[in-house]
Amino acid sequence: MPNFKPSIVTANLLRSGDVVYLGANERWVRELESALVAHNENELAKLEEAGKRAQNDQLVIDVYAMDVDVKSGKPKARSVREIIRAAHGPSV
Amino acid sequence: MYRYDEFDQAFVEERWKQFRGQVERRLKGEITEDQFKPLRLQNGLYLQLHAYMLRIAIPYGVLQARHLRKLAEIARRFDRGFGHFTTRQNIQFNWIKLEQAPDILNELASVGMHAIQTSGNCIRNTTCDPYAGVAIDEIEDPRVWCEIIRQWSTIHPEFLFLPRKFKIAITGAAEDRAAILFHDIGIRIVKGDKNETGFAVYVGGGQGRTPVVGSRIRAFLKKEQLLSYLEAIVRVYNLHGRRDNIYKARIKILVMALGIEEFTAQVEEEWQKLDKPSIDLPATEYERIAKYFEPLALKPAPISDEQVTKRRASDPEFNSFTRNNVRAHKVPGHVSVAIALKEPGKIPGDASADQMDAVASLAERYGHNEIRVTYSQNLVLPNIALGDLLKVYDGLVAAGLASANFELITDIIACPGLDYCNLANARAIPIAQDIARRFSRLEKAEDIGHLRLNISGCINACGHHHAGNIGILGVDKKGTEHYQITLGGSPGDDASVGSILGPSFPAEELPQAIETIVETYLGLRENPKETFLSTYRRVGKEPFKRAIYDNEPSNSNGMSDALEKV
Repeated sequence: MPNFKPSIVTANLLRSGDVVYLGANERWVRELESALVAHNENELAKLEEAGKRAQNDQLVIDVYAMDVDVKSGKPKARSVREIIRAAHGPSV
Repeated sequence: MYRYDEFDQAFVEERWKQFRGQVERRLKGEITEDQFKPLRLQNGLYLQLHAYMLRIAIPYGVLQARHLRKLAEIARRFDRGFGHFTTRQNIQFNWIKLEQAPDILNELASVGMHAIQTSGNCIRNTTCDPYAGVAIDEIEDPRVWCEIIRQWSTIHPEFLFLPRKFKIAITGAAEDRAAILFHDIGIRIVKGDKNETGFAVYVGGGQGRTPVVGSRIRAFLKKEQLLSYLEAIVRVYNLHGRRDNIYKARIKILVMALGIEEFTAQVEEEWQKLDKPSIDLPATEYERIAKYFEPLALKPAPISDEQVTKRRASDPEFNSFTRNNVRAHKVPGHVSVAIALKEPGKIPGDASADQMDAVASLAERYGHNEIRVTYSQNLVLPNIALGDLLKVYDGLVAAGLASANFELITDIIACPGLDYCNLANARAIPIAQDIARRFSRLEKAEDIGHLRLNISGCINACGHHHAGNIGILGVDKKGTEHYQITLGGSPGDDASVGSILGPSFPAEELPQAIETIVETYLGLRENPKETFLSTYRRVGKEPFKRAIYDNEPSNSNGMSDALEKV
């Protein structure tokens, strides 16, 4: 899958609305850099399934996958929107 | 101001209790997000980028001190100590937790407030002239009609699931300060042949991706017929408005598709069929509601005040404040004071809890408890005795609210943009800050004169960019924020949609481009009284286009710095 872009799964917590990312062991973390990166379609499908489970368990809402850059082994947001989300607050 | 009767109060009380039950069921998993989302939206609760946002209704922008104090309390207890006033004369809180939303609605209900119909495809908050009831150029107080429309449209069973949202604005004054021609329905109070009061009605105005100036559907409507006529318009829209395409669902699209003559004919036909007596308000009920808006018993007084005159001579900032923010009141010896939430460098429309309390205190002490919210995201103390103006001004200075730039270039309307909003393509706030800093010297801003500069972070146009004399629209160009400039928009009686100047600019080049446009205007105007809009209309787009695109703009790196901080 040469065209696959490294991806992570993100959502908002149902209770607080806080931005979270799916990390290792199906734990939701606040830091984008701690998100688990999928390097192929199969890995991404597993992350998305875990996202759906968390949604069904009333833990998160608005679950979606997003492309990331990977630098020194850590995911980095690519779009301005995701940079602002990952900062957990406005840029001003 | 209108006070809720027992039915209104029981309704808002019942509503927050219902919402508490709905939130509990959602948290337990008894209802899904798909089932819950419309319920939370009906109570003004959106999910934005970082958290839930609660939009609270401020009917026609009218607040009493106790309401503003309650909003300050909510900002402190449930948010991060501030709120954001919107272009619909409402307020939004950006950092709300779902679990706490029912408690907030409970607090609001205790002062007769709520968040009903601040979202969804229903009739939204009716907006009006912030100087309603006090303006010297007013025919009749439009707040009475705003309240009548509020009562008619609140959970109107036929109009809760319209093809799309629906916005109404009213002005009762000679000068339109409510942008009525950019509304689904715009209403102007006018005098008829026999000097009787009635309405001119406009339909199909709006902004968003298809900006349209409203068309007149009726030159004169008897005032007692307003509700049945509105009902006929909204019914025709509800029946024939498109539901297959969200971008073509507003009434303006239907009016354009049918043409104003055919649309008018259909409304007239529908209106004839309606059982008008069951819809139109009986005179006794009109009078009951109008009583709440009777003018205050203000004592006429001399129109000048020695202390004010002295201070103007010795304090240039106060002198500017008086010139820009203070307007004559219909009762001599009184003024209306605009509080610009637009200090250059600050976030347009934001007020801290302490500032809200400070304004509430000033309203209690000197302003007969009244505060208005303007659609330009500012506040107004409408009833201030000239003799109290210095005390009010000093109170505003102490609260950091004495910015003297009302209606100047730095009084920028800006939506929350990509810093908060889930729909935005680009940021609006840092752009507004960068531009306002460029023109922060008040002398310069006053020399430029009246200039409405509006910024939206996406084509939904919450920042009214189409109606700005200078409009700025944020777009996503291959993953970077770019900004398109429009010139010549106007929200007033001479309403017009701005025209795109040319290719968009990256954020760092935009402030210089705006400065070039302004300098071009200053060079072209015939005299200092010719406003930016008048000059633009006289000379057209070309000189501005040449000034911008024939020279390479220099850089400002304010936005890059802001992004670095992220």
